[in-house]
Amino acid sequence: MLENYLPILLFLAIGAAFGVLPLMAGFVLGPRRPDPEKLSPYECGFEAFEDARMKFDVRYYLVAILFIIFDLEIAFLFPWAVVLDRIGTAGLVAMGIFLAILVVGFVYEWKKGALEWE
Amino acid sequence: MLSTLSDLTLMAPELWLAAMACVVLVADVYAGGGRGTVAYLLAQLALLGGMWLLLADAVPAPEALFGGAFLRDPLADVLKAAVLVLTVAVFAYARGYLQGRGLDRGEYYVLGLFGVLGMMVLISAGNLLTLYLGLELLALSLYAMVALHRDSLEASEAAMKYFVLGALASGMMLYGISLLYGVTGSLALDVVARAAAADASDPVMLLALAFVIVGVAFKLGAVPFHMWIPDVYHGAPAAVALYVGAAPKIAGFALAMRLLVEGLGGLQAEWADMLVVLAVLSIAIGNVVAIAQTNIKRMLGYSTISHIGFLLLGLIAGTRDGYGAAMFYALTYALMAAGAFGVVAIMSRRSEAELLDDYRGLNARNPWLAFMMLILMFSMAGVPPTVGFYAKLTVLKAVIDVGALWLAVVAVAFSIVGAFYYLRVVKLMYFDEPPEEAAVRAGLQAGTVLSANGLAVLGLGLLPGALLALCLQVVG
Amino acid sequence: MALTFQQFLFYAFAAVLVGAALGVITARNPVHSVLYLVLAFFTSAALWLLMEAEFLALTLVLVYVGAVMVLFLFVVMMLDIDLAALRAGFTRYLPLGLVVAALIVWEMASVLGPARFGPGRVAAPAPHGAGYSNTKALGETLYTQHLYAFEVAALILLVAIVAAIALTLRRRPDTRRQDPARQVRVRRRDRVRLVRMAPERRPAPAASEPGGRTGTEEA
Repeated sequence: MLENYLPILLFLAIGAAFGVLPLMAGFVLGPRRPDPEKLSPYECGFEAFEDARMKFDVRYYLVAILFIIFDLEIAFLFPWAVVLDRIGTAGLVAMGIFLAILVVGFVYEWKKGALEWE
Repeated sequence: MLSTLSDLTLMAPELWLAAMACVVLVADVYAGGGRGTVAYLLAQLALLGGMWLLLADAVPAPEALFGGAFLRDPLADVLKAAVLVLTVAVFAYARGYLQGRGLDRGEYYVLGLFGVLGMMVLISAGNLLTLYLGLELLALSLYAMVALHRDSLEASEAAMKYFVLGALASGMMLYGISLLYGVTGSLALDVVARAAAADASDPVMLLALAFVIVGVAFKLGAVPFHMWIPDVYHGAPAAVALYVGAAPKIAGFALAMRLLVEGLGGLQAEWADMLVVLAVLSIAIGNVVAIAQTNIKRMLGYSTISHIGFLLLGLIAGTRDGYGAAMFYALTYALMAAGAFGVVAIMSRRSEAELLDDYRGLNARNPWLAFMMLILMFSMAGVPPTVGFYAKLTVLKAVIDVGALWLAVVAVAFSIVGAFYYLRVVKLMYFDEPPEEAAVRAGLQAGTVLSANGLAVLGLGLLPGALLALCLQVVG
Repeated sequence: MALTFQQFLFYAFAAVLVGAALGVITARNPVHSVLYLVLAFFTSAALWLLMEAEFLALTLVLVYVGAVMVLFLFVVMMLDIDLAALRAGFTRYLPLGLVVAALIVWEMASVLGPARFGPGRVAAPAPHGAGYSNTKALGETLYTQHLYAFEVAALILLVAIVAAIALTLRRRPDTRRQDPARQVRVRRRDRVRLVRMAPERRPAPAASEPGGRTGTEEA
């Protein structure tokens, strides 16, 4: 089974090399003449106004969290789909109930207005 | 596997509750308006219906579903019935509080129902996987309930602490479970039990046991895994502290029963040694630190810790009498805690009455409420003829029967120390001047439930035989 | 003992994993910590893959790296945190932390070492052929044997949805919004009113009043 993944391993190695080598080349070959002005943060020519970090609206997280929950749900669908012909009606009904429970959550989410961006 | 569909009637209460929780969720959001009346009524209907389904079809002997993943035995039936009854009372107490404090959202009841469902899954768990999932369903609901009052800094802080520590404890427990699976090759509790009985000296088993004990001790709130209890009880709104403090203790007992007694019964000598440390520390620290509290919710939190110590004593005894006594203790303590927090919730309807001083002169403001609190405090302190006395007595008797006299002596000594802070509440209610004259009204519903609750504490103390016999019968 | 290629891969990935995990807790910049964590997840996925748990490995990449870590990165990048205060206790607690960590490692190594879990005690399962699908094997037990646990998992996800919304969703009273349903349902008569009126004679130019009113307003 593992031999199926050999191309992916090669791909990873080559990908890593592609990412690392140019950086290394630049690091080794390029001229480096640091200067305090050059290294200072740059914001359209002005001094930086404020810290780049700021408080963000919690709604962004809400969307991300809801995405993760439904992402997990999809992860359950993969193994179900590949064995559907073998687990029969019981498996079909099982996934039906699973999805129905999450649809309840989806209805709640929708009616509550969590999907709206005000 | 599922042989016939009719087998599903065994789990009818769970199915009904799961369906009703979804109905409440959707009904609440369609009813709109942010008021929880619809959710409240439907949630009570769900609990009473679940109760009816449970009792209509109580099983005489253990039966299993889903290849042993779901276990229905008399122990499970009794514990589930207790959880349902207590939650009905908890919702009734919480209703007035939530309305008065502008927290009356359907989510409280929805999460409460899911928590009950988690407890029932946990109580009926026949393998490690469902045990853990039930625990997580309960814990996740509790974390969210504690944080439900979003504008309160204290509640947010409490929820944060509870969540982080709870996740850590869950992780520990899961690691222990995975080790058990690694050693025995099975998730089924009966297979684990056979392996544990066959080779009780396997160090891997012992390491797994240590991790599992951490999880159980955290969920129960035994020292040194008790840090979350005072903060959660203090920070959470009274209605949530009420929920957290009552039925989940029964679920904690079920967790210990299924995992330690049924799953790892072969290692009883080993885990009893670990529990002795936890029990002694819990009784000592719980009772002593409670004296220093000025906040009644925090005080009740430390009181919980000491009661958990007593509950553990029953498990340490390791006999049928001991398990029966621990179960009796868990049931009656949950009843007392529901009542005591019920009084706090009734008092806190206008503003959080959480300082001990808020209870000064309660007798002048509402004699019946003060009398109920008197019974509950006496019972927690272990004063006869209340049920708390009898619960302590049976646990101590079980411990003495196995020859651990010193444990009983330590427990009695610290509960005498502990009696001080319970009786201080009584003194404040009866002998101090009230800070304001306005009468406290409990309302018909909460008042009736509280009366039933308080009188049950008194009545069970006078006639404990039937419940104790039932406990002994179902753990055997 | 010569290393097989698989063993070499295992040690290589394990080394990267340990290095990345150390990076998570030592990196000065929290964004770097999260990126190290992504690397840690990737290498653990590779380790799982070596154990022929391909579905779990891919799920780890899909769910954790694809969703959870993005959320983490998001939180860490946007969060307004005082880094100096967070790091203040690090060196003070480091010795104690190291002692505890060493103790745990020693304990676990002595119990879980090769003496009890080594190849001598537990035989390595035979490697599966190229046509073997781990996903199928998982599916066949998950939806039959662990059916009940699977449905309870759905309930846990539902609670997570309810909790996330109940705790974070806030309505803002001051925002204007459009309701598509009402937009679709609108009828012509809600918007336009046709008024029948007799034609009016244009007033004589001589009799114009300053700021004069027009006839339509009177209709």
